[in-house]
Amino acid sequence: MSSRVFLATFDHEDDLLAATTAVREQGLNIVDAYTPYAVHGLDQAMGLKPSRLTWVCFICGMIGVTGMLWFEHVSASVWWPIDVGGKPWNSLPSDIPVAFEAAILLAGFGSVFALFAVSRLYPGKHPKVSLPRTTDDRFVLVIDETDASFDVQSIELMLTEFNVVGTAEQILNGGHN
Amino acid sequence: MNSELSLSQNQTRNLVAVTGVCAAILAVTAILSPDRAWANLFLVAYYLVTLGLGGALFIAMTTVCGAGWNTAFRRVPEAMTGLLPVAGLFVLVVLAFRLPQLGWHHHGHGDAGTFWFKELWLQPKFIAMRAVGYVLLWIGFSKILVSNSRRRDNQPKSSKTNGNTVPSILFIFAFGFSISLASVDWIMALEPMWFSTMWGVYQFSGLIQATLAAMIIACVMLRKFGPLRGVFRDDHLHDLGKLLIGFSCFWMYIWFSQYMLIWYTNIPEETAYFTLRTQGPWGPIVVGSIVLNWVIPFFVLLPRPCKRSESVMLKIAVVVLIGRWVDLYVMIFPPVTGEVPVFGLPEFATIGLISGLAFLLFLRAFKVANPVPVHDPFLEESLHYHC
Repeated sequence: MSSRVFLATFDHEDDLLAATTAVREQGLNIVDAYTPYAVHGLDQAMGLKPSRLTWVCFICGMIGVTGMLWFEHVSASVWWPIDVGGKPWNSLPSDIPVAFEAAILLAGFGSVFALFAVSRLYPGKHPKVSLPRTTDDRFVLVIDETDASFDVQSIELMLTEFNVVGTAEQILNGGHN
Repeated sequence: MNSELSLSQNQTRNLVAVTGVCAAILAVTAILSPDRAWANLFLVAYYLVTLGLGGALFIAMTTVCGAGWNTAFRRVPEAMTGLLPVAGLFVLVVLAFRLPQLGWHHHGHGDAGTFWFKELWLQPKFIAMRAVGYVLLWIGFSKILVSNSRRRDNQPKSSKTNGNTVPSILFIFAFGFSISLASVDWIMALEPMWFSTMWGVYQFSGLIQATLAAMIIACVMLRKFGPLRGVFRDDHLHDLGKLLIGFSCFWMYIWFSQYMLIWYTNIPEETAYFTLRTQGPWGPIVVGSIVLNWVIPFFVLLPRPCKRSESVMLKIAVVVLIGRWVDLYVMIFPPVTGEVPVFGLPEFATIGLISGLAFLLFLRAFKVANPVPVHDPFLEESLHYHC
C-alpha cells in the first residue's frame, strides 16, 4: 500500500501548532508531525486519542502486585513454611514491600516494552531518517493527500499564513513507519 | 481591584451560626466529659493549624522550585495561612488545659525509660514555651511570605520576582524541625512511653495531603463563584490532582513504613501504639482511614479525565479531608478517651467547627488582597502552560 503525502516544513513550533489546527479545521487528514522535541499542545492540536499505554502500565502493575502476593504467600507459608521471628506463616505486612516493588518493576518495564513493541523499536533496527532536519531545528507536518479533493496550490497558499519555509510531496511505501 | 467574592449577609450569618452551635455543643461536652471535649478541641485546633501551615509550605516549596504554574492561584494558599494566628492561639489555649497531664508528668518519675533529658524536655513549662515558639515561628514566616507577595502587586513595572526565595528556604528548614518537634510534643507525648522515629514525616505527609485537598476545594469554588473564573484552569486542577494522588501514596507509604517497622521488630514498648489501634474496636476505623486517605483517591484519580473533572476532584478532596479527620482521630483519641472509640454529637460538631472556622477565616484572608498576583512575572506562564 502506498500513499501520497504532502510535507510542510516550519521554523517555529508556534507556526506548526497553528498550522496543525488550521489543517484539521479544513477537514484534512494529518499523518504525523515530526519535531526536534516534544511540543506542548501538539497532541491536542492533532486530535490524537488518549494513549493506551496507561492501561498497559496499570494492568502490568496489578499483575505485579497480585502475582507477587500470591508467590510470597504460597512459597513462605504453603510450600516451605519458615518461622521468622515467631511471626505467623501467612504474615501479610512482610509481603507488602516486595509486592510494591514488583508492581513498580512490572509497570515500568511493561510500559517501556509495550512502547517499544508498538513503535516497532528493537535492538539492531536500522534508523530510517527521511527528514534529517527534524532532529535539529525544523518542524514538519505530514498531510495525507489521498483525498481526491486535495488541492496542493490552495494548501500551499493557506500555509504561507503560518510562515511555511518549504513544501514537498512524497510517496510513502507501506505506511509511514 | 478587590475580590468580587463575598458571601451574602445571610450566608455569613448561617455559617457563623453553624460554627457557633458546634462550639456550644463542644462547650457543653467540656462540662459533661472534659477528656472527650479536650480531644475534640485539640483535633480542631491541630487540623486548622496544619492547614494554615500547609498553605505556607506549598508557597515555600513552589517558590524554592522556581515553579511558575501555580502563580495564578497562589493567593489561595496565601489566604490559607490566614488560618494560622487564630488556629495557633486556639492550639495554645487547648494545650494549656492539659499541660500538667501532657507527656512525662502523666507518669511518675522512676518509670522504665526515664533519663534526665526526657524529664527536662517534657516539663510542662518547657512544653508551653516551645509551643508558643513554634506558633510564633509559623505565623512570622507566613506573614513574610504573604506580605512579600502582596507588596509585589504595587510594583507594576518590574520583572523582579517577589523576593520570597530566601525566606522560603529558611521556612522549609524551620518547618521540618518545628513540625516534628511540635507533633512529638503535642500528640506523641499523649503516650509518653511510646516513640516512633517516623513521626515527623508521618505528620508532614498527612498535612500536605490535606492542604492539597483544601486548596482544590477552595480553587474550584472560587472559579465557580467568581474571582478565579477564567484564571484557574483545568491544567491547574490536573496538576493539583497529580500532587494529591502522589501525596496520598506518600501518606500510605509512610503510614505503612511506621506500622511495618514496629510490627516486624515487635518490641513491647513500641507495639503498644498499634496494639491499641489495630487489635480492638479501633481496628475498623484504622482501615477506614486507609480507605479514605489512599484507596479511594488512588484508584479514582488514576485516569487523566478524573483529574481534570471539577466534580470528581471536589468529591475526592472532601473524601481526603474526612480521611484527615479520621487519621487525627485515631492518633489523638485512643490515649485520651480509651480503648473503645467514641463517636457522637461532639465528634460531629468538630467536623462542623473545622469546616466553619476554615471557611470564615479563609474568606476573610482572601478578601484582603487581589485574588490574583497581577504583576507577578510568572503569571503569564501560569495562565498559558500545558501540563
